[in-house]
Amino acid sequence: MSLKSLTKPWQSMSYGFLDPSAKRELRRKMLKSVAVPGCQMPYASREVPMARGWGTGALQVSLTLLNPQMCVKVIDQGADDSVNAASIRRFLARVSGAPTTLDTLEAHLIQSRHRIPEEFLREDQILVLQVPNPEPLRSVQPNMSIARQMHADADYGRMWLQLYEQIVRSGRIMQGASYPSMVNGRHVMTPSPIPRWDVPKLNMSKHLTILSAGREKRIFAVPPYTRVEPLVFDDVPYQVEDHGALTCKRSGAKGFFMNEIPQDDGTSAFEVSDSEYGVKSIRQRDGEAVNLGGTWYKHGEMPK
Amino acid sequence: MLNTPVQGVDEAAANKTFEALLWALSRPGLASNLSAASDEAIIDALIDRECRVYSADPQLMSNILCSGATVSEVKDADHVFLGALRDLASLDDISKGSALYPNEGATVVLRVALNKGRKIRLSGPGVKTVLDIQIAGLPDGFWQNRAEMFCYPAGFDLFLRDGRQVIGIPRSTIVEVL
Repeated sequence: MSLKSLTKPWQSMSYGFLDPSAKRELRRKMLKSVAVPGCQMPYASREVPMARGWGTGALQVSLTLLNPQMCVKVIDQGADDSVNAASIRRFLARVSGAPTTLDTLEAHLIQSRHRIPEEFLREDQILVLQVPNPEPLRSVQPNMSIARQMHADADYGRMWLQLYEQIVRSGRIMQGASYPSMVNGRHVMTPSPIPRWDVPKLNMSKHLTILSAGREKRIFAVPPYTRVEPLVFDDVPYQVEDHGALTCKRSGAKGFFMNEIPQDDGTSAFEVSDSEYGVKSIRQRDGEAVNLGGTWYKHGEMPK
Repeated sequence: MLNTPVQGVDEAAANKTFEALLWALSRPGLASNLSAASDEAIIDALIDRECRVYSADPQLMSNILCSGATVSEVKDADHVFLGALRDLASLDDISKGSALYPNEGATVVLRVALNKGRKIRLSGPGVKTVLDIQIAGLPDGFWQNRAEMFCYPAGFDLFLRDGRQVIGIPRSTIVEVL
């Protein structure tokens, strides 16, 4: 062993920003999180040039996975063009040389904040979700040591109680985003603050989903073909947002998750939330040849 | 203006190896290709100073020591390289973590021969319905032993390597011997 064999040539920056030891740690923790679907694995979230809580966890996962052949797409609340999505995408491309895309079908790696694209994801695609609060039990048990014990015991009674109380108080389940979901029949996870509309897309999907919380230093995953069941009561079925009948005012796309745009006269107009899907729909309407992929929701309904 | 860093040879190999491992572990029973036909590729991608490693194969020792990992007994190791497995006794001591700390379950790398020998049926996360595969080179009673030792989510995760090909069997997979 010589000094030369232990050192590497000088570089102004490690490939993909993270240093090799940070990547190795993330690799080990990603493997463990895939091995126990839905179970939160702790990791040492490193510093990245972004404030914690802005997607640093997912960013570290993306940086670990990236190589110059991997095409990357970044979404923020469905949109590819918001400041957060655009700056993360530019950063990923700058530090890795990876090509970027807005099209869900072209991407190999999709980093997303709070949405899952409307088009099907394939087996060769990886979805990385940004998670602000990885602990589904936090609202019923703020002490994380006790919450860990509850996960170990699969003691989720209080989650059901919370949902029951919402029904008693309001007549329906009020949980809008981060709907608690049972993964592989064992661990309850929060699917990150995706709307209820998106949770069924995780169930028995073809793609791998990795959820990473940088501020909270936890990582968990949903492997392909894994059961993800939202917690519901037998007599109160799971309901997604009532967007199935809405039409996008710009693209004419119908039956997808919409953004509500308040109008001056007090009414609302709607725009499809998955911005690139909207763009492709507009192009198709205008007679361009575009490749619109199959969607999870058909005519506003998730096929059983 | 920032220059885009270039992916070096080591970095590219580690990235490819990890991609193969992640793909294999998320789709149990389906083989993917490592960057090289050796356990050293896995060591370079995963192991560093924070790891405790046990290796039954003395040839891996130089790579393990170069990575800075602590060489330890089987029971303390988080990464276990057993080479070609001969007896089941060496599995007993491998760290399986606990329901409280499933992350302490070890990663175990074994050398096997794929597509021949005993037929097993896999089901669980990552397998759409069921998947039948053939694996030779494991001692008799290996899968029964594994099923008895595990109490999900405690357990260890297996990588079975044959040349460049690797398959992953995470602890969540249910294995039935046909």
